[in-house]
Amino acid sequence: MDSERAARIWGLVAERARGAPISPAHICAAAAAGINVDGAGLTVMVGPTRREVVHATDRVADQLEEFQLTFGQGPCMDAFDHGPVLADELEAPGYLARWPAFTPAAIGAGARAVFALPLRVGAIRLGVIDFYRARPGGLAHGGLADALAFADAATTILLDGVDGGGPELKSIWPDGQAGDPAVVHQATGMISVQLGVRVDVAFARLRAYAFAHDRRLRDVARDVVERRLRFEPDEASQDVQ
Amino acid sequence: MRERQLAAVFVEMADTLVADFDAIEFLHVLADRCVSLLEVSAAGLLLTDQRGALRVVAASSEETRLLELFQLQSDEGPCLDCFHTRQPVGVADLATDGAPRWPRFSAEARRVGFASVHALPMRLRDDAIGALNLFDVRVGSLPAETLGVAQALADVATIGLLQERIIRRGATLAEQLQTALNSRILIEQAKGVIAERKHVDVGRAFALLRTAARSQNRHLSEFASEVVDGATNL
Repeated sequence: MDSERAARIWGLVAERARGAPISPAHICAAAAAGINVDGAGLTVMVGPTRREVVHATDRVADQLEEFQLTFGQGPCMDAFDHGPVLADELEAPGYLARWPAFTPAAIGAGARAVFALPLRVGAIRLGVIDFYRARPGGLAHGGLADALAFADAATTILLDGVDGGGPELKSIWPDGQAGDPAVVHQATGMISVQLGVRVDVAFARLRAYAFAHDRRLRDVARDVVERRLRFEPDEASQDVQ
Repeated sequence: MRERQLAAVFVEMADTLVADFDAIEFLHVLADRCVSLLEVSAAGLLLTDQRGALRVVAASSEETRLLELFQLQSDEGPCLDCFHTRQPVGVADLATDGAPRWPRFSAEARRVGFASVHALPMRLRDDAIGALNLFDVRVGSLPAETLGVAQALADVATIGLLQERIIRRGATLAEQLQTALNSRILIEQAKGVIAERKHVDVGRAFALLRTAARSQNRHLSEFASEVVDGATNL
């Protein structure tokens, strides 16, 4: 079941963190150990066009991230723009045509399979997490599910950092994170207009409010969508209906 | 159901499976057509998120209560069983047949006004990628002929989803499923933005979004993305 997987993944990440605020490094390390891959890297988007590698578990992972930023092509780039890229066998025909500079460089560095998962929630695009393996082959069913769950964890961490969230937020696994209901995303859209902020900031504010008031995210979201709760710049106010 | 109606729907579906194809819009139209063709009260399409849960991607109505009813089945319900077994699941009477198997779901479905449910798998070779979920306010099983058409419509939904991956430079099924689910989230965010800007409820917001996308000949999810980013005002 979905939330069991999420809890297990979160447990693996928390083990790595050992009480410290959870960081991309912990997630990458837990993922590299937990899934059938050799290493992981995480690149964040800094503004609409700038990207920055924030962590790589090893030299190969680091090279793969850097190649993509340098050449402006690769599974990471495609994942940003379109969606997950699961390249089981880099030596298969097609990849050379798709990434003429990245593919030979990646193979030269020792990677034969690369999996890139976007860190996104609808219009909120925060970055990408990349995995590589020296042997070709897919992630297989359970591996893909776990990889997606690690990507969810990375998305949460980056999201909490968007609005300068404190370390407390980063150690919380929010209720229902294994798939927020529609009302949460609707509320996010509404809040972005109410506050006049980007949608990633709006989501971070919604989550911060739920945490500060010790309420479930979906319940706060429902209040927003049903117009019992409005977010005003600087504070949220309750409208008594 | 009338044969001419049925033929017209399949022609319509075939017509849309061409160059400028919008998978999410296609699934919404399909959900709509299910209601009229199969003579049920509501229809929804759910996809696997590939982490063990089912998520709604399209429904015949964007009524929040209905969407939540579909989504409830992520934990328990005929849709989830259908997805796991890859077999149709029919519940002619939620009160007697549904309650023992899925107590929470049956109670909620009945509270909202439904009396019977059917779920058909969205099949792909030996696997299922989701399910077509049909609700009715009347008690009773769907006749065999109707179930046959319903399964065909579920298969059309699967084909529609796969169609887009062909257009998107051969993305795998796994990639395409994640993209479809993210498109749905985009649309929910856009509903919120429009609801706030236009002072309407989210159901009406969806109608406005869809109409605007169609009138400008834009893909629903791309248009929704621009609305959320503030690049486009309705």
